[in-house]
Amino acid sequence: MTGVFRTELIKQLRRPRTFVALGIAVLIPTIATIALKANPPAPQGGDQGLFALAPNSGILVAVAMLRFMSRFLLVLIAALFAGDSVAAEAAWGNLRYVLVRPVRRPRLLGAKLSVSALLAITATVLVAVIGLIAGGIAFGWSGVSVPFSGLSQSAGQLLWNVVLATLYVAWSLAAVVSLAFFVSTLTDVPSGGVGAGIGLYIVSQILDSISSVGSIRYALPTHYLDAWNVLFFGRGPNADMLRGVLLQVGYVVVFCGLAFWRFQRKDILS
Amino acid sequence: MADPVIAVSGLTKRFGPVLAVDDLDFSVGQGDVCGLLGPNGAGKTTSLRVLVGLVFADAGEARIFGHRVQPGDADLARVGIMVEESAFVPYLSGAKNLRLWWEAGGTRWAEADAETALSVAGLGDAINRKVKTYSQGMKQRLGLARALLSRPDVLVLDEPTSGLDPGEMREVRQLLRRLSDGGVTTLLSSHLLSEVEQVCTHAVVMDKGKLVAGGPVQELIGAGGTVYIEVSNVRRATSTLKKLKGVGRVTPEPPGLAVELDGIKRSEVVAALVHANIGVETVTARHQLEDAFLGLVGEE
Repeated sequence: MTGVFRTELIKQLRRPRTFVALGIAVLIPTIATIALKANPPAPQGGDQGLFALAPNSGILVAVAMLRFMSRFLLVLIAALFAGDSVAAEAAWGNLRYVLVRPVRRPRLLGAKLSVSALLAITATVLVAVIGLIAGGIAFGWSGVSVPFSGLSQSAGQLLWNVVLATLYVAWSLAAVVSLAFFVSTLTDVPSGGVGAGIGLYIVSQILDSISSVGSIRYALPTHYLDAWNVLFFGRGPNADMLRGVLLQVGYVVVFCGLAFWRFQRKDILS
Repeated sequence: MADPVIAVSGLTKRFGPVLAVDDLDFSVGQGDVCGLLGPNGAGKTTSLRVLVGLVFADAGEARIFGHRVQPGDADLARVGIMVEESAFVPYLSGAKNLRLWWEAGGTRWAEADAETALSVAGLGDAINRKVKTYSQGMKQRLGLARALLSRPDVLVLDEPTSGLDPGEMREVRQLLRRLSDGGVTTLLSSHLLSEVEQVCTHAVVMDKGKLVAGGPVQELIGAGGTVYIEVSNVRRATSTLKKLKGVGRVTPEPPGLAVELDGIKRSEVVAALVHANIGVETVTARHQLEDAFLGLVGEE
């Protein structure tokens, strides 16, 4: 592990906001499982339906939590990690001192981006893992076969698909992380980067819900956000999941490229 | 003549319509302590930031050890830096801040001169407290400690005594003198002209981004300056000195008088007074550099 990556990781791991964000990723699946166990919901459609299916197998708690958390809280957490990684350091006035170390700017930025991405992935994995553990304790791990729902999988299949879903959800945050990170290199106001990431998500969601927007919707970062549902209610990974993965690559290349290009030339005045 | 350790030539930096630094030239030799002076907005901090690779020059260049400074240069490991007020990661302790900052450069903590740094910081047990609980003076001392961790050959310090109490300011001045005696080259900006006068061997005066004057402090002050002389008879002393060649304005300020020296030595003034049978109690230099500075930047 390089010195600069290690020091960035220690700095972020010791930050109170990191504890809070990762704590949310642990607490919500735990609380939701306790609530499901204490008060099982009646069968319904949509997200509520997923929660209603959870008592059939604890593994579905992880699936339900991934679906629920990826709609906003994971986006918020990812934007928080990426959006203030550079800007917060600038706001404290410490960025100029980090940059007078004999470390090239791209290396420092790469370390900050890697740590932000690692924490966003950690939050997503925590949601799934805590969902699996809490769900397993509450309802056991078993296969499920629910008539008319399209869901019929063994425990092994479910677990493997949870792994794939977790990876897909984590990667779906890449556009938010990249934009928040890019804005973080432009401003000394941490909320600016965080707000940009969340703003991108909200605007994308709104535009995606308007059919008149036409084919532009396919390029919106949230368009394929729920494509992973086919892992449980379809025939496994499909073309939409692949499009979702590739779409994020485009956003990462553009926003991270801009971040590195800009930061390399930036006058540090904070 | 040895190559200068710090060399700035033709340095120009513009922020939008504002010309912050305009064709600046100066150099600092090894072991010199050079004060960078100028009113607010003169371009001092911008010049220091260019020098350590934080800000990119539009034209000209800044060199340390003969190498043009680039962000992240290996040479920066030999430079102790304090730019504007000291800043740290607020939720970490002073000790942890120093260590993480040091290790970010890919160097092991065992290689740092932690002993000197911690003794300069003088924070005692507070070094293990979170920095957000520190006073401005404590942060400033920790900032000086950070600048010294690498046993630097060059120090670039922006207002290093800002926020310190008089005793701490004196300690910093003594520290800078010791480092200079050991061959460390220092460039420091300060608003405290008396501090520059006491510590610096050389000074560079800037105004509106331009170099106004530069050179050894004694040369900048020149034979001029003002002295306050406490005498036995103010009226007669005033009359005597007004006739003396090389004396500028003479202002009675009982129990003495302020005498502007314009090419005459203090000893000659004292001799003239004694020769006129006027008792001389004390002779004190008064704001020499301040007078020179205000004269150079045209301020009242």
